[in-house]
Amino acid sequence: MKQQGKDIGLCLCKVCRQLNSSDLTHCQRCEAELHVRDYSSLQKSWALLITAAILLVPANIYPITMLTNQGQVRHDTIFSGILHLVHSDMLPIAIIVFTASILVPWIKIIGLSIYLCAISFDIPISKKKLMVGFHIIEWIGRWSMLDLFVISITVALVNMGQLLDAKPAPAATAFALVILLTQLAAKVLDTRLLWDRLEPQDDTN
Amino acid sequence: MHENAAENSVILCRSCDLAVRKRALPSGVRALCPRCGTALYDTPYCSVNGMLALCISALVFYFPANFLPVLEIHFFGSIRTTTVFQGAFAVFDQGYWVVGLAVLAAAVIGPGLLLLSILTQILIVKWGLSRLFWRNSLKQLLKFHGVLSQLTMLEIYVISFLVSSFQLSDFSDIYFGMGTFCFTMLFLVTLFLQREYDLEHMWTLLEGHR
Repeated sequence: MKQQGKDIGLCLCKVCRQLNSSDLTHCQRCEAELHVRDYSSLQKSWALLITAAILLVPANIYPITMLTNQGQVRHDTIFSGILHLVHSDMLPIAIIVFTASILVPWIKIIGLSIYLCAISFDIPISKKKLMVGFHIIEWIGRWSMLDLFVISITVALVNMGQLLDAKPAPAATAFALVILLTQLAAKVLDTRLLWDRLEPQDDTN
Repeated sequence: MHENAAENSVILCRSCDLAVRKRALPSGVRALCPRCGTALYDTPYCSVNGMLALCISALVFYFPANFLPVLEIHFFGSIRTTTVFQGAFAVFDQGYWVVGLAVLAAAVIGPGLLLLSILTQILIVKWGLSRLFWRNSLKQLLKFHGVLSQLTMLEIYVISFLVSSFQLSDFSDIYFGMGTFCFTMLFLVTLFLQREYDLEHMWTLLEGHR
């Protein structure tokens, strides 16, 4: 049975996952609005993703923390902070921070743009692989918050004036927005669009 | 296809809209979509009293976790401590309110609202289903449950204790406080609560009482 819901007149509610007949405008169970397909979600997702990609630049080139240690001020970008961890023999921590603040945002933005391109331009990539990738992106996305949590703990803890003092720096806001926008881009997208577009060409992938 | 028959035996995949015939599953097994691999449904093991117990213990840990010191720094004889709540406000005070809001939402407000929402849902299911007002409240709570559970990032915060303590151990001595223990317990109890909780099951409880 390789039928889609829209072929047999059924529609799933996005909010409560109740099965509804497609003639209804609102879900019978939770009264949320029903959409058989949400075509505008593709544009929204692109817009959010492009904004996030632009913000990724300031997030990486500007300093994210400012540390005063015995009168000496050090500005750290995401990357130089990680390098510093590597030099002070904390490789496992460096790997965790690298994954959360560099690898995950890049994977998210590149992965989502591949996914959106596949829908927008009908690129024949295995749909199953794309979907698995999408679920991974949805799941790992939140882990970027790690860096922000670390900054907030450090800033609250280390405030001893000229002796030792940590403060956030401009990239922190940009980085927070990158996380928010990429999470939203993945959330608003109606993934069912992918499976419609590529359907006529190959059914098995 | 007849409408009622369809609703009972067929479900649609939320990711790819494939119609799948629903079958009974043994416990502990999850049904995946045959086309795209998305998790479709599992057999809910959703004991209302068990959830109530977990929810109350999570709420007991909630306040000490947020308002007791989580990390302590000993630096040239002076001792500084911080709590999760102060952490969010420290960034806020520096003018980085976007970051402050994100931390506050993910570590303090999100978990708090999630626990309160689950507690209210359980209490309504136990005592209030016969009243229209409570049924409508339950409906609203269930609609917001997905957002709240996505907002809750306790597991990431627990890891960030570890990362920041290692980072700061470069400069001075770092000690964990009582808050760290409570926060970790809050995370564990909430984890088990979320495993026990099944949104679809809660919807059917609401439906069954129509």
